[in-house]
Amino acid sequence: MNWSFVIANAITLACIYGTLAIGISLTWSSLGLVNMAYGFIFALSGYGAWLFSQHIASFAPLVMAAGILTGALGGVLVCALAFIPIHDKPNFPLRGLIATLAISLIGNQALLWQFGPRSKSLPRLFGTWNVNIFGVVLTADKLGAIVSAIVLLSLVLLWMRSSRRGLEIRAMMMNPHAASIVGIGVRSTGFAVMALTGGLAGLAAVLLAQTYYVAPFSGITPMVKGLSIALMGGLGSVPGAVIGAVILGINEALTSTMLGGQYVLITQFLLIIVILLIRPRGIAGILDKAREA
Amino acid sequence: MTATARREVLRVDGLSAGWGPMRVIHDLDLNVYAGERVGLVGLNGHGKSTLFLAIAGLSGWQRGSILLEGHEVGRTRSQGPGRYTHLVVRRGLALMPQGDEIFHGLTVEEHLDSGAFTPRAWRERATRKKRILRIFPPLEKLMRTPVGRLSGGERRMVSLGRGLMADAGLFLVDEPSLGLAPKIGKSVINALMAVDLGDSAMVIAEQNVALLEGRVDRIIGMHAGKLKGEASVLAPGLGKGH
Amino acid sequence: MDRTAFEPTPEYGPAPPSATEAVAARTWIDPLSGFEPETPAREVPASAYLPPNTTWNETVAFKPKMYPVGRLNFFYKWPGHGGRLWWRTRYWPTRRRVLNIRGEYNRKTMRREKTILDKRPIWWTLTFLALLVAPAWVPGDAFNTVLSAAAVFGIYAAVNLCWMLVIGTAGIYSLASYAIVGAAAYGATYLAVQLGLPWWVLPAVGAVIGFLFGLLIALPALRLDGFYYALLTLGVVELCRVYVIQSRTFGSATGGIYGAPSYLPEGLSQSGQLLWGYYASLIVMVCALFLYRFVNGKRLGRVLRMAPEKKEAFAQACGVDYLRARISVFMISSTAIGAVGGFYASHFGGASPNLFSFDTLLLALAMLVIGGIGRSEGAVTGTAIVVFIDRVMIDWGPLRFVLIGMIMLLVVLFLRGGLFGIKPQFRTWRDKKKSERRASRSEKGGEMLPEEATETANKDEIYYRRFDKMQRDFLKRLVSKEVIEEHRTRPLGQHSEALDRLLIYFRRQGQIDKYAILVAEEFKAYRIVALSGHRGTTPRVVEDRTYGSPDEAYHALFMRRIQDLLES
Repeated sequence: MNWSFVIANAITLACIYGTLAIGISLTWSSLGLVNMAYGFIFALSGYGAWLFSQHIASFAPLVMAAGILTGALGGVLVCALAFIPIHDKPNFPLRGLIATLAISLIGNQALLWQFGPRSKSLPRLFGTWNVNIFGVVLTADKLGAIVSAIVLLSLVLLWMRSSRRGLEIRAMMMNPHAASIVGIGVRSTGFAVMALTGGLAGLAAVLLAQTYYVAPFSGITPMVKGLSIALMGGLGSVPGAVIGAVILGINEALTSTMLGGQYVLITQFLLIIVILLIRPRGIAGILDKAREA
Repeated sequence: MTATARREVLRVDGLSAGWGPMRVIHDLDLNVYAGERVGLVGLNGHGKSTLFLAIAGLSGWQRGSILLEGHEVGRTRSQGPGRYTHLVVRRGLALMPQGDEIFHGLTVEEHLDSGAFTPRAWRERATRKKRILRIFPPLEKLMRTPVGRLSGGERRMVSLGRGLMADAGLFLVDEPSLGLAPKIGKSVINALMAVDLGDSAMVIAEQNVALLEGRVDRIIGMHAGKLKGEASVLAPGLGKGH
Repeated sequence: MDRTAFEPTPEYGPAPPSATEAVAARTWIDPLSGFEPETPAREVPASAYLPPNTTWNETVAFKPKMYPVGRLNFFYKWPGHGGRLWWRTRYWPTRRRVLNIRGEYNRKTMRREKTILDKRPIWWTLTFLALLVAPAWVPGDAFNTVLSAAAVFGIYAAVNLCWMLVIGTAGIYSLASYAIVGAAAYGATYLAVQLGLPWWVLPAVGAVIGFLFGLLIALPALRLDGFYYALLTLGVVELCRVYVIQSRTFGSATGGIYGAPSYLPEGLSQSGQLLWGYYASLIVMVCALFLYRFVNGKRLGRVLRMAPEKKEAFAQACGVDYLRARISVFMISSTAIGAVGGFYASHFGGASPNLFSFDTLLLALAMLVIGGIGRSEGAVTGTAIVVFIDRVMIDWGPLRFVLIGMIMLLVVLFLRGGLFGIKPQFRTWRDKKKSERRASRSEKGGEMLPEEATETANKDEIYYRRFDKMQRDFLKRLVSKEVIEEHRTRPLGQHSEALDRLLIYFRRQGQIDKYAILVAEEFKAYRIVALSGHRGTTPRVVEDRTYGSPDEAYHALFMRRIQDLLES
């Protein structure tokens, strides 16, 4: 068995899924919204990057930026449709969930209608070279995915920790009512959060499109995975999401090498079910009581 | 009173506010001048907190004009409580609400930072924090502790400190001594009295007249949603017309 | 009485310049002048006549803007409940009556009447009758599509009703219902193919499979809640889907497993088969409706609704064993869904992995949401709408999913309880607006406010204050230059009506703080004081001035009272 391959795969997948999971987790904890339209944003930004590379330029950073921007735009759209009209109405968490589900249904079918069922592939953004680190062979797209995901995620987390907007978002996570009293606009912060998480989805879409393709329904599986990682890590907890992403990445890489790719989902959901049964609030659920689910 | 010559920080004209079918504040007029410390005294259920919340745009519905630093922040509104609160707060209002609306997971320091969201206050937040620590010395040691772990008195200090961090023209303090041991409550009030208001004003709502008597510039009574002049008419039954 | 008839006439003085504002200069002739006919009558300029009921009319006038909608609590009164009032049909095994009828006597007409309080049974009956005869009106060219869609509607409605027991009544977001249908259908088909079972065993087999599956997913529900549980069930659905797609025994090659025995009798024409399938699935739906009614409307449903999520502790403190209730509703619902799954296998002759897909789940959720979560009529109507769009409007392509998504989005953004929640939501909204407007309209000054009113022991005081306020409003309008001038010239004696009314009101005031004149020195110095109203307490002096004559003092006192009146 090629352990280095397993490890490389595990890290790559962990990075991409971690990006998605952190996006979902952030949305939940600061807005109280489970964003089921995340898969749609994911697919949309894949198409955005593809259109950009087809029609304007295929220079790697620009394509990535285009994907991220499309994702941010999609996030803003979802926010305007599913958060702004109902965020202070009764029964918001459930209604928000259903609204995002409806957006996902509409959006995915609209993508199918517009672009057809055939999948598109993005150009290689990181070239086709290899690098050998301590005996682990990393292909360019994997290394590129790992580096860009880690860099952008740490930038985002650093920004959350230190900047004023980040403090606003974290304050809104803890107590939305008090946040409005200290002068934080719930709606504008909502747009900021959704743009940010949409951008994360765009990043993940561009990175994942290096290995897979861009298709109308390509977002569903990554979204389900990201959601399960976010829940497994404990909704609203960034460290939990990272741990969950690492565990699932390892699991996916191990399963696909040892049992075969078709068993990935089975082992993954078994793992999630077991973990949730042991810790009903996720891995980091006790550590961080930001917002009760 | 020589107040007429001074700048009006807050001018409330014909304010009515309430929750659903209940009208709590009835055509209320109130002026607060710069540099003034006003005590607002009344039993619970007579509309002190609703008045504060209405000024911040957080009541269920409201009607009437509220001029904060000369800007109209009140309006006829019957839904969306809190939708415009942040704009009112940016106009220079610091509301220290009843029951410590705090952010459990943030540390005391981050908490104080979160009070300074106006651009000027954000730039000066280091000096402002020092000022707060001079007012509430016990917070010095707790700067890195999450607020969720603090005791009731310490939380109150954090909540008041967060309000005082703001670059506000008007501080509304809602029942600072509520739920605290009398001694701690007194010390919190003392700290509030020690704050140098400068050009801003402070309104303190309190049920306990004795805590405020003689220490604020004027005391206004509040009864059944209406203001009752100076403190002398407070004693029930001695008012006019009975 | 209409006092406008007493508008000033020419011989009573010049008419006022404006008819609306009555306070205008006129002359008043002292009626006592008639006793001395030789001297000319005393004429005094006075204000015009203002009817004393003016403020009353203004106060009671209906001012709020009215819209042509109202609370239509209109119940048709059926004549004569008579002797049959106590003879009520109850359907076994409940004690429930077929119709909830209230009998009453109309006091105006002295006749016996009855009112149907809950008309839903009537609507249900009409719906069933319509559904029974509906195939006769289906156009011939769309017969196949519509009837097969209608059969799907019956089956899906049955599943959704059972699912609604878990989602609506128990409030647990289990997304595994269609996975249970799929598991039951797959299992039943597999067993039927292997063992050669007849069709009528399939629902029973499905029920057993559903029971086992329900047991499997009920256990985590004891530990997880909210989104965590929803995700777990979603995981279970994905597991099933992936397993079924890859398993050779369950037809990974053929896209499903087929070969289950059909319940259709031999030798039917195609339209006969369709009709048979339609009525069979309708029967399944009716069974599900009865199940829904027996669980939701009885003890189990009440217990479950008492213990929604996050309020378990409270329910437990009230003595509700919510864990037991939840497990039983889970088991009942899953068993029923499993039985429907067995019927599904028999209806379609097998099962396909499509049952486990995310899209099926989404559509099913759309059915529940559009109709309204927690209502049986909502589940049925939502299913009808979605199945119609999905199965009948096939030539729309992917746009029909967009349409379903749009409906779902609009419903969830604007409605709290789906289509069937519109009426209560509208009423709540209108009542809120109405009460807010009423609350912000109530005027201050005189009117006692609710807090004060509850504290006042003497409730007459409330009405006295209200009357007093109205009276003062009226008197304020009587104050005019002429009245003051008239009083200045002659404080005592006969006065014009306006001045008389003012003075009578002033004299009637209570003793506390009533103004009085203190004779400091007879004919030389008079002062105005205010009585204390208490025996033994001296009056307090109101002002520093002394007046040279009683008339001057009277007038000063009058002016002071006028001022107080205008300020109040």
